[in-house]
Amino acid sequence: MTAMTSDTVLTTTDAALDTAGLAVQIRGLSKRYDERWVLSDINLSIPTGSYLTLLGANGAGKSTLLHTLAMLNPATSGELMLFGKSANRPSPGLRARIGVIGHQPMLYRDLSVMENLVFFGKLYGVSRPAQRAAELLERVGLADRASSMVKTFSRGMIQRLSIARALMHAPDLMLADEPFSGLDVPSVQAVSELLRELHADGKTVILTNHDVRQSLELAQRVVVLRCGSVVCDRQARHTNPDEVTREVIGS
Amino acid sequence: MTQVLQQIALVSGKDLRIEARSRQTLGLVVVLGVLIVVVLGLGLGPQQVASGMAATAVLWVAYLFCGVLCFEKTMAVERHDGALAGLMLAPIDRGVIYAGKLLSNLVLMVMLALVVTPVAIVLFGFDLSAAPLGFAAIMAGGFVGFAAIGTLFAAAVSSTRLQGGLLAIVIFPVSLPLVIVSTQMMMRLFGEGEPLGGTGLAVLIAFDAVYLVVSWLVFELILEP
Ligand SMILES: Nc1ncnc2c1ncn2[C@@H]1O[C@H](COP(=O)(O)OP(=O)(O)OP(=O)(O)O)[C@@H](O)[C@H]1O
Ligand SMILES: [Mg+2]
Repeated sequence: MTAMTSDTVLTTTDAALDTAGLAVQIRGLSKRYDERWVLSDINLSIPTGSYLTLLGANGAGKSTLLHTLAMLNPATSGELMLFGKSANRPSPGLRARIGVIGHQPMLYRDLSVMENLVFFGKLYGVSRPAQRAAELLERVGLADRASSMVKTFSRGMIQRLSIARALMHAPDLMLADEPFSGLDVPSVQAVSELLRELHADGKTVILTNHDVRQSLELAQRVVVLRCGSVVCDRQARHTNPDEVTREVIGS
Repeated sequence: MTQVLQQIALVSGKDLRIEARSRQTLGLVVVLGVLIVVVLGLGLGPQQVASGMAATAVLWVAYLFCGVLCFEKTMAVERHDGALAGLMLAPIDRGVIYAGKLLSNLVLMVMLALVVTPVAIVLFGFDLSAAPLGFAAIMAGGFVGFAAIGTLFAAAVSSTRLQGGLLAIVIFPVSLPLVIVSTQMMMRLFGEGEPLGGTGLAVLIAFDAVYLVVSWLVFELILEP
């Protein structure tokens, strides 16, 4: 507890100095489920405008970390700052800056595509949500299915729609949990293009992925989690994929 | 304030739109409610039925069981495909989610009551004409408190992996005071012909207020994606 306090003091003093340019700042973050530590002592600083991929084997803690960043799942201990603001008691203003693509689509099966997007758009206070939704549907290639019920969609179509949902409010920080899973080749290209554009717009993109080569091509920086700890944190350029793969599997 | 009300209407409107489209919950619940009333009516026999007073007790039984189903179903909509996480990510207060779900549950229960109550009136020869507004007021008071805790428990039960049947077991004991108060008020109103006094209603409203405030406060703590 004493350690926590001194840590907090430290952060508040330099928060004013250098968190201005940080989208995410994590200090000593740990997460426990029941008796098991799923994340242990994570420290990461992610500048605004970064494109970062989290790699790691199944169960390494990638989704848990992403959920913590999304303020869905509070950490057991440690500190999380988003855009220089403490995320321990998240304000609506902070939530509005974050977009999430999860393992689950977070859509209503019995509503149409358009109804889903407009619903979430209104929750985020998007002005002219129908127009915004139509634009995004065009981008993800679902423009001709706007009035279809979500339950009639294939897995890949749902994935593309959930990406459109996450983009509705033009978030400053995009957290995407395996956004390419279940997509065919053209869709992977379309989605990676969307994320690239987001990044080119100065937004921060953090995604998880299992494909090491693809991650090194897309992202600027790769972070490998193993058993809840960061074991590797590199710039993507000039990094050997085999080396990263070895870190992922831990041999 | 208007923004919060708009958000609540948005969350609830989405539920009602889904319900209007699938009619899954109402279809099931109305059939169950009518069945309960008919079966209990037959079981009690003509004498009890003739007294008319059994009607309020039977109606409560029907509302309790059907209400639990409504709470479960409206929460299941959020559980599917992680939709609840989508709501929790949005820049809205957790209280808005609670109020939205509560409103959806209340609307469903009122629609249920509009079908089931006439069935009981016909079957039991229950004469509402003495105090129709009093009846409506007491039922409304009962519904608000019952739905307030029902909405809370439905969310709590759905986030643990404990399943369905459990919900009735936790909700019924907690709503017992509400049932007792409102049936006693009904007795006085229809049995003894006393007019509905301000104090009786005040007690019911006080119960509702306590249930509402406690549930609203606890909801934030138990809500898990
Ligand atoms: N709600 C939960 N309750 C208990 N344990 C959990 C819960 N969610 C995740 N875990 C545990 O946390 C660990 C990390 O899970 P997480 O989903 O973050 O892994 P991941 O890296 O995303 O894996 P994958 O590549 O399979 O998606 C796992 O061991 C998992 O069993
Ligand atoms: Mg995962």
